[in-house]
Amino acid sequence: MNPVYISAAAALSPQYTFDADELLQNVRSSDNGKLFVTDADYSKFINPVAIRRMSRLLKMGISTGMKCMQLAGIQSPDGIITGTGRGSMRDMEIFLGDMIRLKEETLNPTYFIQSTYNSVNGWLAMQTKCNGYNQTYVHRGHSLEMALLDAQMLLNETNSKKTYLVGAFDEMTDEYFLVKSKKAYWKKPMSGSLDLLNHSDTEGSIGGEGAAFFTVTNDRENTLCSIEDIRMSQDPGTNEINTTIENVLQSHHLNIKDIDLVLCGMSGDSRFQPLYTNILTGFTARTSIAAFKHLTGEYDTSTGFAVWLATELFKRQEIPEIITLKKGIHSEIKNVLIVNHYILNSASILLLKGN
Amino acid sequence: MEDLKLTLKQQIIESLNLQGMTPADIDDNAPLFGEGLGLDSIDSLELMVLLERNYGIKIEDAREGRKVLESVSSMADYIQQHRKI
Repeated sequence: MNPVYISAAAALSPQYTFDADELLQNVRSSDNGKLFVTDADYSKFINPVAIRRMSRLLKMGISTGMKCMQLAGIQSPDGIITGTGRGSMRDMEIFLGDMIRLKEETLNPTYFIQSTYNSVNGWLAMQTKCNGYNQTYVHRGHSLEMALLDAQMLLNETNSKKTYLVGAFDEMTDEYFLVKSKKAYWKKPMSGSLDLLNHSDTEGSIGGEGAAFFTVTNDRENTLCSIEDIRMSQDPGTNEINTTIENVLQSHHLNIKDIDLVLCGMSGDSRFQPLYTNILTGFTARTSIAAFKHLTGEYDTSTGFAVWLATELFKRQEIPEIITLKKGIHSEIKNVLIVNHYILNSASILLLKGN
Repeated sequence: MEDLKLTLKQQIIESLNLQGMTPADIDDNAPLFGEGLGLDSIDSLELMVLLERNYGIKIEDAREGRKVLESVSSMADYIQQHRKI
């Protein structure tokens, strides 16, 4: 498949990524095992009549999507494609709680309507008057990857210039955190989030959330980078990930030495650390290694943060110290490999190339 | 009747999350939809739920519902005549 191009990117995360001019210079941390997003001024992007009814996730998703469109200078995209692992958890919790409390009678419709996975897409389509393709993928740890792949396939099927708004969003709630703590998702005792990767010898990670949106086009002009390849695997062994990386490099006529930066989704969880350790041994001193989950926490669509981060690194050509695990001796940041693993044992590998 | 209207306004503000509004901001006779408070179709569903949950009133006929939900006054009149709670 031909590559597709990212012309603009926006991210809402626990860090100051939405409006800040500097990249990860002033970072937020947490010592209770949860990293919630730094809220933006949502009223700038959503009309006041609609916003009063919206849950936090809707505000996060819609505002990030609208900000991305603003950055791209686009009024209405040709289509909207998103991914979410969990959708609007809070609305669903309220709705299910009311079902029990009110014995399935007199239930408020708003929570039900908004708890559907495609609410963000629907609102974005209405706000941008986009009547085009509209799709939401709910594939747990592969949700954003599926959305990006769909965009890539659609853009490969047409000869005319098209731009899709592609994004992902997931929220964490206290109830979700509690339920998943029983499944050993989180570290016990909780470590300070910035220290997460120094505790990769114990099980669990920290909970996170975020939203990231991209305008993805088939026209290379004035874009930030290209998405060259997207690969996904479920329950992969270390060898399978290594083989996939080799295949990706081969199919793009690249050598492992051509990779300037590996952005990896190490979550501080000892159960998955060997995957990364094994993969990273294959890279030479030339390649920089960076990680990001100590800044975002673990969530289904954290790959969105990684892709946004890569677009920023292409622009700035400088890797902030807070994410650097190993500083390579490459002269520029051109080829970036994103390797991300989600706790439900889904792995994804993306190859991005700076323009 | 005035007490009922005040309670109703408080319930509307809470149920529809009308942030920054007080009962004094809602005119008894102003239309709730369109030019008045600017409510929409999802709000009308929420108001139906409000009537059923707080006053035991179930409106089955959409045309009747439209008349009942015209204003705070029309809602209060209907509640006074049909309330079961």
